Formats: sequence, C-alpha cells, structure tokens
Amino acid sequence: MRLTQKIKVLIVVVVSLFFSLSIAEAGVSGGFIESAGSFKFGDDKAEKNDTNLLELRAQLRYRAYPEILEEYSGEAFIKFEVLADGYDESVSPIVREGWLSLSPVDFMDIKAGRQIVTWGTGDMLFVNDLFPKDYLSFFIGRDDEYLKLPIDGLKVSLFGEKLSTDIIVMPVFTPNNSLIGERLSIFDPISGRIAGEELDRFYEMPPKTPRNLVTAIRVYRSYRGVESALYFYDGFYGEPKGIIDPLRERFFYPRLRSYGASLRGALFGGIANIEGAYYDSRDDSDGSNASVENSSMRVLAGFERELPRNIGLGLQYMVDKLLDYGAYKRNLDPTAKARDEFRSLLTVRLTKLLMADTLRLSLFNFYSPTDSDDYLRISAAYDIDDNIKATLGGNFFTGKYDHTEFGQLEGNDNLYLRVRYSF
Amino acid sequence: MRAIYFKVLMVLLGVIFLPSLAVGEDKITADDIIDRASLANYYAGDDGTAKIAMKITDRAGRVRTRELTMLRLDIEDGGEQRFYVYFREPSDLTGMVFMVAKKVGADDDRWLYVPAVDMVKRVAAKDKRSSFVGSHFTYEDVSGRDTSDDVHELVGIETVNDRAAYQIKNTPKDVASVEFSYYTAYIDKDNFLALKAEYYDKAGRLYRTVTAEEVSVIDGVPTVTKGRVSEVDGGETTVEFTDVRYDVGLSESIFTERYLRRPPRKWLK
Repeated sequence: MRLTQKIKVLIVVVVSLFFSLSIAEAGVSGGFIESAGSFKFGDDKAEKNDTNLLELRAQLRYRAYPEILEEYSGEAFIKFEVLADGYDESVSPIVREGWLSLSPVDFMDIKAGRQIVTWGTGDMLFVNDLFPKDYLSFFIGRDDEYLKLPIDGLKVSLFGEKLSTDIIVMPVFTPNNSLIGERLSIFDPISGRIAGEELDRFYEMPPKTPRNLVTAIRVYRSYRGVESALYFYDGFYGEPKGIIDPLRERFFYPRLRSYGASLRGALFGGIANIEGAYYDSRDDSDGSNASVENSSMRVLAGFERELPRNIGLGLQYMVDKLLDYGAYKRNLDPTAKARDEFRSLLTVRLTKLLMADTLRLSLFNFYSPTDSDDYLRISAAYDIDDNIKATLGGNFFTGKYDHTEFGQLEGNDNLYLRVRYSF
Repeated sequence: MRAIYFKVLMVLLGVIFLPSLAVGEDKITADDIIDRASLANYYAGDDGTAKIAMKITDRAGRVRTRELTMLRLDIEDGGEQRFYVYFREPSDLTGMVFMVAKKVGADDDRWLYVPAVDMVKRVAAKDKRSSFVGSHFTYEDVSGRDTSDDVHELVGIETVNDRAAYQIKNTPKDVASVEFSYYTAYIDKDNFLALKAEYYDKAGRLYRTVTAEEVSVIDGVPTVTKGRVSEVDGGETTVEFTDVRYDVGLSESIFTERYLRRPPRKWLK
C-alpha cells in the first residue's frame, strides 16, 4: 500500500473510531445544498464551451466531543461533500475536512487529520501561507472558501506567555489545483500560445518518501494590538515550476524553502499589514538551471479601513523580485520570452453592506502594472432568508500579453449564479 | 508634623462626608447618573457570559433570527473590556467568532474568525452606529456608548414600567458623527439600569426607541434579560438573554487567537 493510501486509511479509521465511541453529545451539525452555474462569454481563444461551472454540491458537517477525551477537550469534526459536476459529468465524494483535536497539556493543542490551515496577513494574496490553493475554483465562480485546499497532516500548537508556535507536518505534499487547460484556457509556454483541453500536460509529484515530508512553522505574538509573526516552510512549490521534458510537456514541483515575517496593527483608523518572504529554490540555488524556477523575494503591504457611507476599502501592493536574474537571462532559451525581474501587483477591494446586511456587494480588482494585466471579481450576495442565499458574480480578465498570469485567462470571462440552501 | 496632622484630618473628613455627598439625591449630577448607568449596564461583575437570541423583523415583516453566545471580561471597571461573540445560528454562520478589545478614547481592536478556511482576520474599526449583525441594534447599543461623547442633562424624574427613573437628555458633542440630534435616556433611580432610550433625528422627530422589556436579578445583579429596538417607520429587533452568569472566572487568555481558532467549549456550552 502506498504511503498516501495508508494515511487516508489511518485518518478514516481514527476519525470513525472516535465517532463510534462518542456517545457524547453531538455538537453543531449542519450543511448545505448548493447549485451553481456560469455563463462563459469572453472572446475565448481556445475553448468553445459556453460554461465552465455547472454543478450541484451537498455538504454535511458533523462535530462530536468524544467522552473519553473530555478531559483533554477532545473534538472530532468531519466536513463531507458530494459534488455532482455537470462539466466533468461526474459525481464525487469529497472529504473536505476530517480531524481530531485535543489539548494533552494546558499549553498545547494538537489537530490531526485533513484540515484547512490559513495564516499570514494578505487578503486573497499569499506570501507565507504556502498551503495548497485551488485557483481554478477561484476563477470560475465557486465560493471564496474553495480557494483553500485542505492538507493531510498534524498540527501542533504551543502557547506561551509571550510567544506561540504552530508546527505543521505533512507527510505527503499537496500541490495547488493548477490550471491545466480544462475549463480555463491558459498560455502554453512550450508552444507559445493559448491552449485549452488539447493540452496534455503531466505534473510529476515528488516521490512519497520520508525525506519529502513537508514542514511549516509559524511563531507569533500579539502585543498591544500589534501582531507579529515569523514563518518557515520546507517543502515544494505549489505550482509545477520545474520542467522535466519540454517536448512531452512534463513538469515537476521543485523544492522550496521559505523564510518570512509579518506585522499587522491599527494605523490611521484602519488596519495596516506588511509581510515578506525569501523563497529559496533549492533545486536551482544559483539560478543557473533554466528549467527550474529561480529563488525570489516577495513583499506585500496592505491597508484597510472604512470609508464614509460604510464602504469598506482594502488596498494591497505586492512585489516579487526574481533573484539571480543575470544567471536566469544567460541560461534562458534564446527563443523563449524572458520574464521581468520585478513583478508588482496592486489590489483594491470595496465592500458595501445594504438592506440590514442582507445584501453584500463586493468588488476585488487585481492589477499588475509590470505585466499589464488585470483581474476583476465582482459579486452581490443576497440572503433571501436565514437559509437561502443567492450569489451573482463575475470574473473578468484582461491583459496586454498572452503569457501573463491574468492575460492568459483573457477570454475566460464568466458570470455565475449560486443558490445555497443551508440547514 | 503639623502638616501631616492636617492632611490626616482632611482625609478622615473626606472619608466621612464625601460618600454621602456623592450619592446624596439632591446633589447627583447627570454625569454621575450616566457613569453609574454605564457600569450597571455594561460592566456588571468582573466578567459575564450569556446566550443571546435575536429576532429581527424588517419593515416588510420578514423575520430573521440570530443565536449567539457572548463572553465579556472587564479589564478595568468603566475602562477596557474584551468581548467574544460566538455565532450559533443561522447555520451558514455557525462557528464564526467576532472578538473585540474595547478601549476608551481609542479605536477598538476587532477580529473575525472564519471557520470554513480557518482564517483569523483583523477587522478595521467600523462606524459605531452601524448595525450589529444585521439587527436594529448598533455596535454602541451592544458594548456601550463612550460616556464622554455626549453632554448629559438631567431633565427630571419620570415613571417608566412603574419604576422611578432619571430622565437624561444626551446631546452629542460631535453631531456629524451620529445619525441622531440627541437622545433621552430613562435610568432606573434604584439600580441605574437603562429602562428606555428615545432617539430624535436631525429634524427633532422621534424615530427609534430602545426599551428594557424584562429585568431579572441574577447572582444579585439587576440584569436586562429582554430588550427591544423599534423603529418608528417600522421594523424591530427583540433580544433575549438566557443562561446569564457573572463572575465565572474568564481569563484574558480566552480572548486570544488560540480560542478564536478553537472556541472554548467550556464557556460556550
């Protein structure tokens, strides 16, 4: 049996064991049924589908407090989904979360199993949160929460008088749900053009060995309303930023080690944050290998405050600097288009609550001055009653060039509607 | 030596006479009443926990409900406080937590925990007059309006719900920061609970009334256990507090990131 399978079986066994043992009172349980559909209307360069989202999703949540773990504040949680996907014409069960948590001693919490981990100070931008993302869901109009993918692992949290620490160990690396040309057409660097489903890419996963264990650590402190943190990550890039064989479209996930820090606090009647990280591309430390991503630095600064008329404003500026840029240029295939040394991104978020908070309007724009591309997300979410919520939204991409992050998605514009019944 | 005797004498005199002056009926000022009302309404005990059920009815008669559990800790009476608000219902908000470090004379620190993505978000300070969780209550109704934001004037004594109450007119110092021109509060003469508050708009018209519908004595503390906000133009929110407890021994550590990510079940049961 492979290591992943072993882990999956272990999670299922442990969690079901505690559920069967727990005659204890069941805690919160609930869920929803949601139908979602989109209309894709852009000037699509490759895909001819008129939708990339047509699905019915049911979610069930169950929480239990096993009696035998009462002394240790034990808690078991399962979030289970069934997704009937009209695009894939498939029905799949999804264990989105399944974990057990407890406090063996006063100053320690442990959470084991499938869980979602989020940290860092960015709003939809990530510097030190290197946990897996699902940008496909993000771009096609699924709920924001689906941008985050769960990890399988163990989280140990230690709480001190001044400093607290989270240590997360993931026996098996989980990559991002990368764009592969399905649902969204993307730029293919090999052929140098926009491509869709005909892309036959292969992303090779790191071998499942103890050496490939992924670790993430955060040490943080809150003092007089100022939150500071240090971060460390040892694992792999979430995207397949390494090329094995260009002609056969084979890619891999290079090794990544990251060191970072963040600060967040009140400033000028709002909240200001700054975060940075150094990404050490360990398979190409000196930048001489053109097939592997170079090391880089990333810095993010943000500010958020309420404007008159109760409009929420959020601004962020993020810069990536590719290191060893000289080596990168020297070793680049002369026919390939060179990346810029710097890439910057500016985001604006505007939110407004109306009708006693039952109507929530949101606009989120990503603009890159260096790449000359733009991504606009808008949505209006309306609570029809306490149980039924309808969300109408859109994703719009523009760009001067085909090879940039949002520019490649030009033509994948969509308008979507989601209706969710929660119980 | 003589100076010390004099000081001691003055202190003794002070101890004997000052309290009687301070609480003397004729001498109590509007500011004293408002300060004592603030303590009675928002600082009872050193800490407190309660379950809150809200029923929000809009102008069209549509009803929504909210169920919350609130934990409160006073760092200093009349001063800094911590609030932890855990959402039970409706289902799509279950597990969400809103936490506030309330300050006096400075912006509060606020956090929101979003359980679906295990995210702790810092929230920018909001307009204190904006709606609390979509109800007709404002943030200020829930955690108290800064007593120094208004000029208080004792108008007289009125009877509200068969109780004698001080009638106080409160005029905001910064008129532009609020939607009312003034409000009249009726403060129970005996226990200093706010029994009623009437808000007048810029045209001097009554548009909003907050009332205490039921008062119970819990652990020796007079407590509003049912309240209502009604808008003259229609729409109202009723609120009911159950399982109210005081001095349960909440520690400051509850109000940290640890317990945002992992709600303290002991206090939320």
